[in-house]
Amino acid sequence: MIIEISHFLSILATGLFFLVGYFSIFTPSSNSNYLSSLITRTYSQGFFFLFFSFLIYVWLAITDNFNVAYIANHSNTALPTFYKITSIWSAHEGSMFLWIVFLSLWGFIFNIRVNNNEILKPKSMGIISFILVGFLVFLLATSNPFVTILPIPPLNGADINPVLQDPALAIHPPTLYLGYVGFVIPFACAIAFLLHGDSEINWEALVKKWSVSAWVFLTIGITLGSWWAYYELGWGGYWFWDPVENVALMPWLAATAFIHSLGVSIKSSQLRIWTILLSILVFSLSLFGAFIVRSGIIDSVHSFANDPDRGLYLLGFIGLIVFTSVFLFVWRLSSIKSSSVIKKFSKQSFISINNILFGTLIFSVMLGVTYPLIYEFLFDQKISVGAPFYNAIFIPVVVLASIFLFFSVDSKWSRSINFEFFTAPIFLSAALSLALTFFVMQFFNTQSISILASIFAGSLIIFRYIYEIINFLFKKKYVNPFSVIAHMSLGLLLVSISFNSLLSTERALSIDINSMEEYKDLKIFFEDIGVENNSNYDSIQASFLVEDQNGRAFNLKPEKRRYFTRGQITTETAIHVTALRDIYITIGDQLDDGSWVVNVQINYLIRWIWFSALLMGFAGIILVFSKRVKA
Amino acid sequence: MNILLKLIVLIVPAIFIFLFFIILTNEDVYPGADYDQFELPDFELKDLDDSKRISIDFIEGDYVLNVWASWCITCIVEHPYLMNLSKTGVPVIGLNYKDEKQDAIVWLKKYGNPYQTILHDYKGNLALDLGVTGAPETFLINNGEIVAHYQGEVNDRIWNDVFMPIIKDRKMF
Repeated sequence: MIIEISHFLSILATGLFFLVGYFSIFTPSSNSNYLSSLITRTYSQGFFFLFFSFLIYVWLAITDNFNVAYIANHSNTALPTFYKITSIWSAHEGSMFLWIVFLSLWGFIFNIRVNNNEILKPKSMGIISFILVGFLVFLLATSNPFVTILPIPPLNGADINPVLQDPALAIHPPTLYLGYVGFVIPFACAIAFLLHGDSEINWEALVKKWSVSAWVFLTIGITLGSWWAYYELGWGGYWFWDPVENVALMPWLAATAFIHSLGVSIKSSQLRIWTILLSILVFSLSLFGAFIVRSGIIDSVHSFANDPDRGLYLLGFIGLIVFTSVFLFVWRLSSIKSSSVIKKFSKQSFISINNILFGTLIFSVMLGVTYPLIYEFLFDQKISVGAPFYNAIFIPVVVLASIFLFFSVDSKWSRSINFEFFTAPIFLSAALSLALTFFVMQFFNTQSISILASIFAGSLIIFRYIYEIINFLFKKKYVNPFSVIAHMSLGLLLVSISFNSLLSTERALSIDINSMEEYKDLKIFFEDIGVENNSNYDSIQASFLVEDQNGRAFNLKPEKRRYFTRGQITTETAIHVTALRDIYITIGDQLDDGSWVVNVQINYLIRWIWFSALLMGFAGIILVFSKRVKA
Repeated sequence: MNILLKLIVLIVPAIFIFLFFIILTNEDVYPGADYDQFELPDFELKDLDDSKRISIDFIEGDYVLNVWASWCITCIVEHPYLMNLSKTGVPVIGLNYKDEKQDAIVWLKKYGNPYQTILHDYKGNLALDLGVTGAPETFLINNGEIVAHYQGEVNDRIWNDVFMPIIKDRKMF
């Protein structure tokens, strides 16, 4: 009964959102006070209906209402309440529901924060509403989470997938979704701007903070996902170029380019065409991610159940959104006034180079994702595009972008830098970076160009910005804290990734109980192995005493678990974390001679990689809360 | 310049959407599957573990023949499924394909061994007779006769859709 109320509220919300869209786009005087306040109110009501519908759904999940087919299939009475809630986004229907609720939430916050006098507001709300209608119809027609099992519900649910019973996973999808759908705000405003066709309207300033907020969520969401795959899936690394990592990376790259381009458009009304195209691109790529994951077109850890109808609907819907925007863009192109002359070596020129480089990266990832699909279709053979392809493109392009970034620190808005600018900070940081790179080359005895170039590029950025910070502290020269932190984290990220790939090693050992193996500086003593019984799984738990070169000893207890309800076997890693390195142990199978296969990895600076990424997100938070930039 | 830009922004998304449409509506759901029936060719290969010679008569009854190699990335993905399959009682025989013996043994140590027996086909002779094009590939064998063949990763879906109908039909295992 209660589930029907929830279902009905969602349908009502769909209707209200449709009305908002209709009023704002198809009524001629959508800027009249009456109409704009009608739009605002109707949207809020639609949002409240949808939100209430979701709250009811959460409550049904908490109270184990197995009348609801989705809850019966993905939850279980034995689960802690926390995981009963997170089970909602553990599969397709529920996560789509959450995605839509988040989409409407962004619209709602935009609705209440932005004044009704803002000329673009009514049409933006209308575009957000039409997108909501599209997704709600998709939810209700092809992936309905409200389907019931009547008259007799099952006594207990089928349980959540065990790898999803994890705190990082509980927050990783919602954070990522908030990022993806957050770009609906800049997209809607860009389209509203194109619909108005008045080049004087400064839509870029309106969306700045919204875009950065969405970017922050996307950054943090991707980082959490990377961390989760490392310790829970036992992937043992931070990035695998998995198709679904790639479809999250593409909007991130596009969003990063978009934010840079946006800055230029606000400051000097240049690059406006770039900015509009990028805003369309970011949102299209976010939708493309949803399509890839939910159409079953790719097999991956993330893919949901295969259903061609869903894929076709989403493809059609995305096609509609993309083509409407692109046609509008083409139609209005001549009326978008953008002062097109960009001085050589001005800040703008560096950012346009940045746009081109990011565009290259996005296109390569797109190619990497789609090429295997096309190849399989044409030649009936599966191939995989892996790390070598991406490394070959990413390393040179990112190094190049970093070098441009390094020079851009000295550049000025709308002015060429004169060549006096080859001054102390540049020489000093270049010399320090060269020295560091040379030291790494000698000390670690490496000849790898890609590693050395990345270390050089990363340290260039770090040293250059350290100089800026010193200037700020002693000479009170203004620095933009957002830019300094974000770019320094990029430098740190490059350096950490380079050292990680330079130093990290792994080895599969076979060890007997009560015996010891040495690997690198580690002495690994296999103390014990035993079976443990838990409420919803059995596990084999091994216990190792590991001692490093400094004589520090610690226990590591990797496990293998078998979950009862699904019979799924999972590998639980044991990780010893220090500032510089992780010691990462998983157990495999027992060999015929009674020894066990033990996989040992030493991952250097892997925490630093996530730390830099989070720091980048933190920089975004600073910008969102700073007073200097107008909302 | 503007016309070029207009063309690009229209054509690029159109190409991608068209491609995805074609791929999605492709009727042939399992292009890697075929059901040509033929007798298992004669062979004599060494066992990977103890180098004993194994000939065609050594293995009897119904079993699954899985072509794998330590250099094959998809085999790692497929591997947990084979482990489960062998635990459910389905005999899985490995055909180690164009692989160094030592690499194969290390691989099995690292990931575990789902195979009852492993034929070491270093030169790929048997694989050639079977029509293997790469790894992984999986054959379903019913009393010395090949009854189903799948190119690519076997997982729950492939097992149920490609192999299960034949298994039920012939009352195998």
